[in-house]
Amino acid sequence: MKPIISVKNFTKAYGDFTAVNDISFEVEEGSIFAFLGPNGAGKSTTINTLCTIFEKTSGTLIIDGKDASTQKSEVRSSIGVVFQDSTLDAKMTIEENLKMHCVFYHVPKKEVEERIQFVLGLVDLLGERKKLVSALSGGMKRRVEIARGLIHYPKVLFLDEPTTGLDPQTRAHIWEYILKLQKERNITIFLTTHYMEEAEICNKIAIIDRGVIVAHDTPYALKKEYTKDKAYITTKNGPELERLMSQYEVSYVRKEGYYKADAEQIDRLLQVISLQKEDITDIEIKKGTFNDVFLEITGKKIREEE
Amino acid sequence: MNTVIALWMRGLKAFVRNKTGLIFSLIFPFFFVYVFGAIFKNDYIDNPISYMLSGVIITTVFESSLNLASSTVDDMVSGFMKEVLVSPAKRLAVAVGQLLSAATVSTLQGILILFIGLFIGIKFTTWITPVLILFAMICVGMVFSGVGLFLATKVRSGQTFQIIKTAVTMPLTFLSGAYIPLAMLPNLLKYIAYVNPMTYATAFFRMIVLEKTSLTNAELVKEGLAIDINGFIVTPVLSLIIILLIGLVFIILSTNSFVKTDFSRLNRSSNDASALWG
Repeated sequence: MKPIISVKNFTKAYGDFTAVNDISFEVEEGSIFAFLGPNGAGKSTTINTLCTIFEKTSGTLIIDGKDASTQKSEVRSSIGVVFQDSTLDAKMTIEENLKMHCVFYHVPKKEVEERIQFVLGLVDLLGERKKLVSALSGGMKRRVEIARGLIHYPKVLFLDEPTTGLDPQTRAHIWEYILKLQKERNITIFLTTHYMEEAEICNKIAIIDRGVIVAHDTPYALKKEYTKDKAYITTKNGPELERLMSQYEVSYVRKEGYYKADAEQIDRLLQVISLQKEDITDIEIKKGTFNDVFLEITGKKIREEE
Repeated sequence: MNTVIALWMRGLKAFVRNKTGLIFSLIFPFFFVYVFGAIFKNDYIDNPISYMLSGVIITTVFESSLNLASSTVDDMVSGFMKEVLVSPAKRLAVAVGQLLSAATVSTLQGILILFIGLFIGIKFTTWITPVLILFAMICVGMVFSGVGLFLATKVRSGQTFQIIKTAVTMPLTFLSGAYIPLAMLPNLLKYIAYVNPMTYATAFFRMIVLEKTSLTNAELVKEGLAIDINGFIVTPVLSLIIILLIGLVFIILSTNSFVKTDFSRLNRSSNDASALWG
């Protein structure tokens, strides 16, 4: 598939501070691409530059064949953006916000009503269209913004932290809409997040830390490479378990009251367990998470810096 | 063009919906008419109500246009301006839309006060007067929308801006002759009034409302409708020209500045005074 976003050697500096340092990546058309990293890593800077709001320091950023710094107007027409903070006009109704957006994006007048129906249906807000934005909850506002970002049928939808600050249920809903969109309209979705579990839904992930991309692959490959499954074993006979694990070359760490063993070579671990089944009282196998991936790559937890 | 109309309509809608704001914007002018009308009852002026009302109307148009155009800062802080600027809408159209909506709403406020004024003492002898009044209000509205938008593009922090705005509008209002006749001011303040564009807007507007178009220069000066700067007489017509020139300059400056401003630099949360002017 051809890339719809292509960034080469992009650098953005504010005076002495380099927010983004020489990054390159591509995003395939119709995919969901996530930028993962702690706050201040350069996620928003990159998104804002791709969206033509910030000026780059150097490099090239191409969206749908257009240059984000020299063909701003063309790029703006083919993208939709949902920023981290609300950019709705709170004094107007949902419908008025959408209509205003259609004017800015030159949506043909006779299509406006149909499109409003379509996007509001997509985010389940058809019944609230006459409501003032100031009267909506945080989750509803985010849904309105997603609807608005889509109403001009963009090729790429940028979502900067689309689910930050929302409750788990609303987050799940927002993701439902995002996936529905990708399937139904084949829109490319570029998002940033610091929720690890969200990253796993995406097709490709770039992990960014201190302005540099430190890993860039599918969630599966990243997990495969950077995490190990672990078994948490509780036993009545510790010395015997230790002996067996050494014998079958299962690496382990002794913790307070339990053992944390490597579960990557599951056959060896099963041998150990079957030989000690009289004494083992509890086993829990945990899959590697994206937190582990991040920890492994950057040496710190993703939420640490907040 | 559609962008201009959309933003213009947005301003009008916000004005119509803000009922509380509307009521207060009417209470204050009449409070001033009452207070200052009572103070200056018998000194210089033969028709204090009309005299005060004309001053109050034009300062209302002035303050409200400046406030509304500079409320572009609020749009930046609330994030709405980001939505506009990331869209393919032309920045020039956005600036013009903001200017027109501010000028229109402030003119509407002026008309409302004038309308109430008709019941408490303003009288016209010819239909040309209201037409001229409307024209003058639109002019002043446009001029100070330009000033307001210009200030807005130069600002870096929302909260401090409110304070600065009050610090600018208060002296401009009170040293314009609108409430207090210039003749009563001490010399130092008089000189400040001479460089205040509102002085000229007030003089011109008052001449129209009081229908004193046919007076001689000397009579105009005596009535406080022409400004005598050490023997140089600024006639109401010259006042209008001065106002329009200032307006033209600021409208060009503000649209130009708006098109070029990098709004991403706006500090959305800080109230640090040093962050104000970038």
